[in-house]
Amino acid sequence: MSHDESLDTTPMQSENLKSELLTLNMGPQHPATHGVLRVEIKTDSEIIAEATPHLGYLHRCMEKHCEHLDYRGIIPFVDRMDYLAAMSMEWGYCLTIEKMLGTEVPRRAQYIRTMVAELQRVASHLMFYGTYAIDLGAFSPFLYAFQERETILRIFEELSGARLLYNYIWLGGVWNDMTDDHLRRIAAFCDRMDGELEKYHTLVGMNKIFRDRTANVGVLTAEDCYSYGATGPILRASGVDWDLRKTRPYGIYQELDFESIVGTGEMGTLGDCWDRYYVRMKEMNESLKIIRQCLEGIEEGPIQGKVSKIVKVPAGEIYMRTECPRGELGYHLISDGGKIPYRLKVKSSCFTHTAMLSHMAPGQMIADFVASIGSIDIVLGEVDR
Amino acid sequence: MNSKTENLQRYDKPLTFTGWFKNVWTSVTTVLKGLSITIRYVYAEKPVTIEYPEVREPLPENSRSRLFNDVENCISCYQCATACPVDCIYIAATRRDKEAEKIKTKDGTAIRLDLQQYTIDTALCCYCGLCTTVCPTHCLTHSTDYEFSAYTVNDMKYDYLAKDIRMWRDRIVKD
Repeated sequence: MSHDESLDTTPMQSENLKSELLTLNMGPQHPATHGVLRVEIKTDSEIIAEATPHLGYLHRCMEKHCEHLDYRGIIPFVDRMDYLAAMSMEWGYCLTIEKMLGTEVPRRAQYIRTMVAELQRVASHLMFYGTYAIDLGAFSPFLYAFQERETILRIFEELSGARLLYNYIWLGGVWNDMTDDHLRRIAAFCDRMDGELEKYHTLVGMNKIFRDRTANVGVLTAEDCYSYGATGPILRASGVDWDLRKTRPYGIYQELDFESIVGTGEMGTLGDCWDRYYVRMKEMNESLKIIRQCLEGIEEGPIQGKVSKIVKVPAGEIYMRTECPRGELGYHLISDGGKIPYRLKVKSSCFTHTAMLSHMAPGQMIADFVASIGSIDIVLGEVDR
Repeated sequence: MNSKTENLQRYDKPLTFTGWFKNVWTSVTTVLKGLSITIRYVYAEKPVTIEYPEVREPLPENSRSRLFNDVENCISCYQCATACPVDCIYIAATRRDKEAEKIKTKDGTAIRLDLQQYTIDTALCCYCGLCTTVCPTHCLTHSTDYEFSAYTVNDMKYDYLAKDIRMWRDRIVKD
């Protein structure tokens, strides 16, 4: 055999070269995945061909735990699902049980609940603002956002005794009463936040680099949102006016005057990352508006309704949903009339939003995919439960 | 795939001559606007960071930190253990002798059971505060003590009948 025969004589040209997709694991310890999410991506150089999110790294059997706990003991557990919006989690759960029990919640407790839930929404969106800026390479907005978030956490700490996992909203009411000092500080916070939010938007939202990296990226049309079951800010950013606080009011929301923010596609296409960012920034303004109205309307009175010492929910089934900072949170409770629930299924918005990653990814560059993950603002504690 | 083609189109948009200058102009102005805000934070805002081990911010009164049970006032009613969602409170009590001296708690409730063991596994505790709210004599309280660590998990089990832990009372009990 001659030496020449073994040589491949075809010229080195791009059409003759073999190419294949590179499988890359993004996460579970990737800083841009906001927790422990692993996304398996198949890339063709920088362009993503396929992305599959893998879940379960933070699975703590929440729903199974709930089947062995009395109804009051579940509240600290639902806190731990979405640890950035624990108040909203508690409120949804308490509404579910109260509806089954037929408990009347006193007016003062209703106002306090609305206020803390909206403060929580502001805190959660501030967290989004900070981490999203970090994802896209700006660090200082994170510090500014946390400075304001600290004010909210301090108020919550004084109300409930804890900074993140409050166990503050109880069946039939709330744990501690708000003092005048708290109300005054909340009012001062609202006044301060107005200027701050404008500043934040100038700093990040109007920045050319940020706009170029988010406008037209990760576009989700209204049809995509319907087919995946997206809710909350993501659905609204795609131009669908659907806010549970408006369309299916719970608590005292029907007495309050606020707007549901819908994306406009100002900087690019409707439903892109910039829209999702902007909807959240505008929502903070609306939350402050709600808090101001609550501060005006708050009444004196009891903060705890009548709930028997041992809670026994009558046999039956209920699905109750509330608007959380991240979307629709639903509790499906099946009770057999005992002291513990038969089944408590939690419908989490983050879970459905994670599924949308595989829809957004094809054709994106890896850096744009990071922007897409950040824009849907998932909390893995709620995804895995 | 619809979204794929859309995404790909984004990367090869033509750039016009005026567009290029417009890009430069908006980039410079918006970045400078942002920088002015950052500079304002540097000079006009007071520092808010607390340098922790040297400076400590006092926790609020009702802060939920390390649990403390004042065993002299405990009537062994087991309500805290029942309320606990993670079952980390271990209580053992025996019936008190009828001939024995009658004792009462601080608020006047008669103690009918002798507490033999009152242990809380702090490593399991989730600091939810459900046990302290059901306590009828208010002997189980959350203290504002938050700096506690141990070398082994067993050290996190606090036996409130032990002498050294009883001595915390002088330090942390809120009356």
